[in-house]
Amino acid sequence: MQITCTINGRTHRFDCAPESRVLDLVREAGMTSVKAGCGEGECGACSLFVNGRLVNACLLLAPQIQDAEVVTLEGLQEETAAIRESFAEHGAVQCGFCTPGFVLRAYDYLSHGGERSEEAIKAALDGNLCRCTGYRKIVEAIVKVKS
Amino acid sequence: MNYRRAANLDEATALLAQYPEAQLLCGSTDAALQLRHAPQTTVLIDIHTLEELRGISVEGDYMRIGALVTLNELLRSDVVRASLPLLAACTETFGSHQIRNLATVGGNIANASPAADLTAALVALEATVTLTSQDGERSVPLETLFCGYRCTKLDHELITAVTVPLQTGSWYYRKAGTRERLNIAKVSIALTHGHGGFRISGASLGPNPVRFRTLEALLDGGVYDDAAIKAALESDTDPSGGFRSTQAYRLRVAFNMIKEALSQPEER
Ligand SMILES: Cc1cc2nc3c(=O)[nH]c(=O)nc-3n(C[C@H](O)[C@H](O)[C@H](O)COP(=O)(O)OP(=O)(O)OC[C@H]3O[C@@H](n4cnc5c(N)ncnc54)[C@H](O)[C@@H]3O)c2cc1C
Ligand code: FES
Ligand code: FES
Repeated sequence: MQITCTINGRTHRFDCAPESRVLDLVREAGMTSVKAGCGEGECGACSLFVNGRLVNACLLLAPQIQDAEVVTLEGLQEETAAIRESFAEHGAVQCGFCTPGFVLRAYDYLSHGGERSEEAIKAALDGNLCRCTGYRKIVEAIVKVKS
Repeated sequence: MNYRRAANLDEATALLAQYPEAQLLCGSTDAALQLRHAPQTTVLIDIHTLEELRGISVEGDYMRIGALVTLNELLRSDVVRASLPLLAACTETFGSHQIRNLATVGGNIANASPAADLTAALVALEATVTLTSQDGERSVPLETLFCGYRCTKLDHELITAVTVPLQTGSWYYRKAGTRERLNIAKVSIALTHGHGGFRISGASLGPNPVRFRTLEALLDGGVYDDAAIKAALESDTDPSGGFRSTQAYRLRVAFNMIKEALSQPEER
């Protein structure tokens, strides 16, 4: 089937099976910040925005982005600059595999007026797993993002 | 695979009548993984854009929740927090932020998982589901919709809404291992205590979310004895739900939760 959507503001057309994962489509389209982690909705490495909502691209099927506005980290470079800087400053990155997902979640959280307490941020990160850092530095980086 | 997106409810019911073997699609948090393990699926009917299935409203003593309402919409709803605090507490333990952005009320019910948290909470709240097909609409108590492991009595029907009596009295909701909420090992207990007596249900303690009727009768009769509670719990739950190996553990957790619920319920 044919799927048309915008990814980071540009129109994309896919010729794909209905059961194709959005995760694979956006990666084929060059958005490699979207990572294939668990493939089961548990790690958040594949997080991206669909019509403004942060979701797991590994669970979404191609037809669900028909006519949708998809935004990945590639399309939010300016908006996430302060968050990415803070991650670097606080050593919240080791292998970096989980980082795009965490940065998008942090952006989603902070841009909705999320509270800057460790407790609240920890709870907000419930959909993202990191195998390297132990989360402490990630939480600290988000608390200290310069606004 | 044949994919159809329903433009409205009439089209959705017509498609369902035409393709009885079809798989419906809402948030796809359950469906996406199921499809991968069931490549024999031939038709997908996507209902995730149906406006008729959205919205939360209070009508008299009831709240009507559209089947397409997401868990995050429930979590953020002031009216849910005010009038169905047990349900609000349940949504806080559900999935993750990203999952809650996708997961719908109708999907949680229709998926008929033994571990369906929202369904278990709605059973304790004596919710009714509205089912719609080409032949019209019917309403049934949610509790009677299930017929065993991953089985519902949906008959070419869509779940269009859930109707829940506004909550009165005290309540309790707890899910085991909230910090590791993405693990499957979980038991949840929902309890309300009002004029009608106790209403208690749980997830992961049988093939479907169960209502603990023996236990309710026992507590309504004023018996709070440990051994009697344990025996009642055991007779109310059915270990054939695919959780055989750890059923004893789950029963112990459930027992501890019931004790906690009785000693420190939330008041409203
Ligand atoms: C990582 C992860 C964490 C999760 N955590 C939890 C949790 O904490 N608690 C919990 O209970 N569940 C959890 N789930 C399961 C899932 O998210 C929920 O069951 C969700 O509510 C399903 O809704 P959906 O819209 O995604 O359904 P879909 O996947 O779109 O559909 C599920 C099934 O229901 C049918 N269906 C959907 N809508 C309707 C309708 N309106 N009428 C008739 N049939 C319909 C479809 O045919 C399909 O078979 C989790 C899932 C994942 C992947
Ligand atoms: S790859 Fe999608 S959540 Fe892990
Ligand atoms: S930095 Fe390696 S998974 Fe998070």
